[in-house]
Amino acid sequence: MGIKSFSRQRAIHVMLVYTGGCNGCDIEIVNSVLSPKFDAEQYKVFLTWNPREADILVVTGPVTTFNKEPLKKIYEAIPEPKLVVAAGACALMGGVYKNIHGDIPSEEIEGPVENIIPVDAKVPGCSVRPQDVLAGVVASLPELLKKE
Amino acid sequence: MLEEKKPMETIETEIPMGTVHPAALEPYRVRFFVEDEIVKEAEITVGVNHRGIERIMEGLPVEKANALTEKICGICSNAHVWNSVRTAEMGLEISIPERASYIRIIMGELERLHSHFLYLAHGCEVLGHETFSMRVFYLREAIMDLLHMIGGNRVQYGCSIIGGVRPRCDLDQSKIEKLLNSLKSVEEGLSGFADRFTSDSILMSRIEGIGLIPQKQALKLEVTGPTLRATGVAKDLRTTMPEYENFDFNIITQEGGDVKSNLLMRVLEAFESIKIIRQAVDELPSGAVIDRSWKMVDCEPIHSYIEVPRGTLYHSYALEDGRIRGSIIRTPSMTNIGAMQYACIGDHITDAQLSIVQCDPCFTCTDRAVEIIRR
Amino acid sequence: MSYITALYSILAVILTVVLCFIVSTLLPGIERKYVHARIQQRIGPPVTSPGIMAPIKFYFKENITPNSPLPNLYKALPIVCFIVVLIILIILTPQAYAIPSIASIIAIVGLLKVEEICYVLMGALSKSVMSLNMPFPDLVKGAAHLDSERSFIEDLSSKRALRLISYGSFPLYLAIFTPVAITGSIFLQDIVIYQQINGPFLFTLSGAIAAIVFFLGYMILLNEYPFAILKTKADVIEGPYMEYASKYRSIVFITRGFLMFTLGALFSVLFIGIPPNIFSWGILVNIIVALIFPVLMGIFSAFSPVFTNRQFYPVVIGASLLGILAIVVGLL
Repeated sequence: MGIKSFSRQRAIHVMLVYTGGCNGCDIEIVNSVLSPKFDAEQYKVFLTWNPREADILVVTGPVTTFNKEPLKKIYEAIPEPKLVVAAGACALMGGVYKNIHGDIPSEEIEGPVENIIPVDAKVPGCSVRPQDVLAGVVASLPELLKKE
Repeated sequence: MLEEKKPMETIETEIPMGTVHPAALEPYRVRFFVEDEIVKEAEITVGVNHRGIERIMEGLPVEKANALTEKICGICSNAHVWNSVRTAEMGLEISIPERASYIRIIMGELERLHSHFLYLAHGCEVLGHETFSMRVFYLREAIMDLLHMIGGNRVQYGCSIIGGVRPRCDLDQSKIEKLLNSLKSVEEGLSGFADRFTSDSILMSRIEGIGLIPQKQALKLEVTGPTLRATGVAKDLRTTMPEYENFDFNIITQEGGDVKSNLLMRVLEAFESIKIIRQAVDELPSGAVIDRSWKMVDCEPIHSYIEVPRGTLYHSYALEDGRIRGSIIRTPSMTNIGAMQYACIGDHITDAQLSIVQCDPCFTCTDRAVEIIRR
Repeated sequence: MSYITALYSILAVILTVVLCFIVSTLLPGIERKYVHARIQQRIGPPVTSPGIMAPIKFYFKENITPNSPLPNLYKALPIVCFIVVLIILIILTPQAYAIPSIASIIAIVGLLKVEEICYVLMGALSKSVMSLNMPFPDLVKGAAHLDSERSFIEDLSSKRALRLISYGSFPLYLAIFTPVAITGSIFLQDIVIYQQINGPFLFTLSGAIAAIVFFLGYMILLNEYPFAILKTKADVIEGPYMEYASKYRSIVFITRGFLMFTLGALFSVLFIGIPPNIFSWGILVNIIVALIFPVLMGIFSAFSPVFTNRQFYPVVIGASLLGILAIVVGLL
């Protein structure tokens, strides 16, 4: 293992982008990082709000119309190597908003996240549990270590 | 003491923040118009996470629509499903078992606790006080565990259904014991935190007089919920709701309407919620938790108002062949947006996000009734 | 003979700087793990992660062009900051006292000013995606004040950095000049020799007051949490550093730890009279001081919210008055 991948696995910067879900996933993810009970920092995962600093982009929500361009822009701002973790049912398949099949479908949902940016790991759940988010970030790590 | 704050005529600089910003846990755009770092006017743009809930609710079977209302908001999910079910029950003239009503109240108050704790934690984080934020999050975990125990999930617990509550949410003796034990430790932790919080003079000087909303202005802007009560108006819908008839609790009010009184407001309301849960558990009636012997009929639009952690929640729809027609939902944050814009004026820009946070915004709740016109 | 002495001196300086550099990379981790995390009742990150591993990781990331009107100048600024801190540390080593024109208080103050001016430029040149560049239809029919001047959040931190230059760094400079007032010399050599004869200033009245003022100034210069107006999360997110990526971000990370150590070494030179020198046991004192300062700073920052002008002005004015008091007591 070279110094590159060794350092990469010892400091993981995660950025959270919320694209219009119900807030449940966002809070659980922020909770998983901020709460002393889960404390993501002990697994070397740091929360950042600057795309230039981030390695892993965690996306929640079904990507509404207004959130499409900002999401793309933030994704582009992250320097390589980067990974995207889609967290929650909405990010995976548009959630209940896209799949309820009522009389009138929702026109605002551009998601799932895969339609907009490439996704490397998927964390299911409505809403995701903090443990699952950490597991998803860790599961995507080998991809990150392999990259140039 | 409190003087009217007026927006400026000429504007020097605009600083936009959002839609992704660390101080806002939700996507919204806010434009601050500042003059030498003092905010002169603020404009909040919602609609960023408009998903068209009311539109996709149209024509859904009522049970399915109730499940959908839960996904309006991840913080007050139980409140939405409760009110939606309550609307149907009012229209179909169903009287639910006493035990079910008590369990709904227990869930509602637990949700109020977790929402208020989240508010405190988020407020402390926006203040830049990471330690206090973590301490509140630690207390909040106990509540989340209780919600997980009763509802089966940490966030979306789908407790209420038409006719009562889901049988899995029934409380047995072991659950009640755990509930009471946890509440005791939460109460101790919260009172310890409140003592530490109010005796911190640096923190108090930081939040006193920030984000002022005078009572007159709050009434003019139709502010609801704890944000209104923090300005001194004792208005709480729980006093008029028949569900809360048997419970003894105080309406907390604070004078001032600044960040300090808002934060203390939430702490004191949390104690009242714990009191209500204890009463509900003590007097929990026996019997079934669900009555399935109701018949679906058509009905005219029904209006239901309840008090949720952020204020007054309004649900309304008509039923036709068991399907939803003309659904309207108004969430408390919708009416509080005016207060948020107003509270920022005259403060330093570092406090501006704090002034928005003090009104406990929930823009995911709010973003439904906005129409997007594509060109 | 003089040739060998010079060579020996240069070797000593290089070894000292390398040792100090290695210690300095640990400081952010120690602050995060053993102070913040301990106070917040959690385990916290490994000690090596924030200070050592994160810069190495950033070094290997893609080198993007920052969103900036002058990308090359913007990229050069952290290197300037690093070199400034390096020169300050070299000045502090006893071998540098042979050149009295450099090894003086005036040179140190001047170099610290360069560091502060870099923040102003960084803030003015960073145009990140997080505010104005976010693609959102702001200027539409019905929006308020369509004709106003629009600015980035980094411009705010640039203005604040300018303010910090004008008044925020007073406490630090007043504290630095207290030893000058006592010894009557601006040269580090005289200050060190005076303390070796008469005992450290830290244990005199004016020195003790100045030490407190120095600590406040240290926190303001490092932008640690109560004084983090340059990079408050609540409004400017990361302020001047928003657009740095890859190598430049790793230099930013390293410079911060290095500045922590250098200011600690400055304190031990000015108030204890022990310059950093690898060939004497005195360097242990430097390292201990450099460790104590971040720990104290961490405790202080964990228990206070970020200050706005309402709290910032009184603290700075109070600290400045204390600093003046220290100088007056020292002169008497």
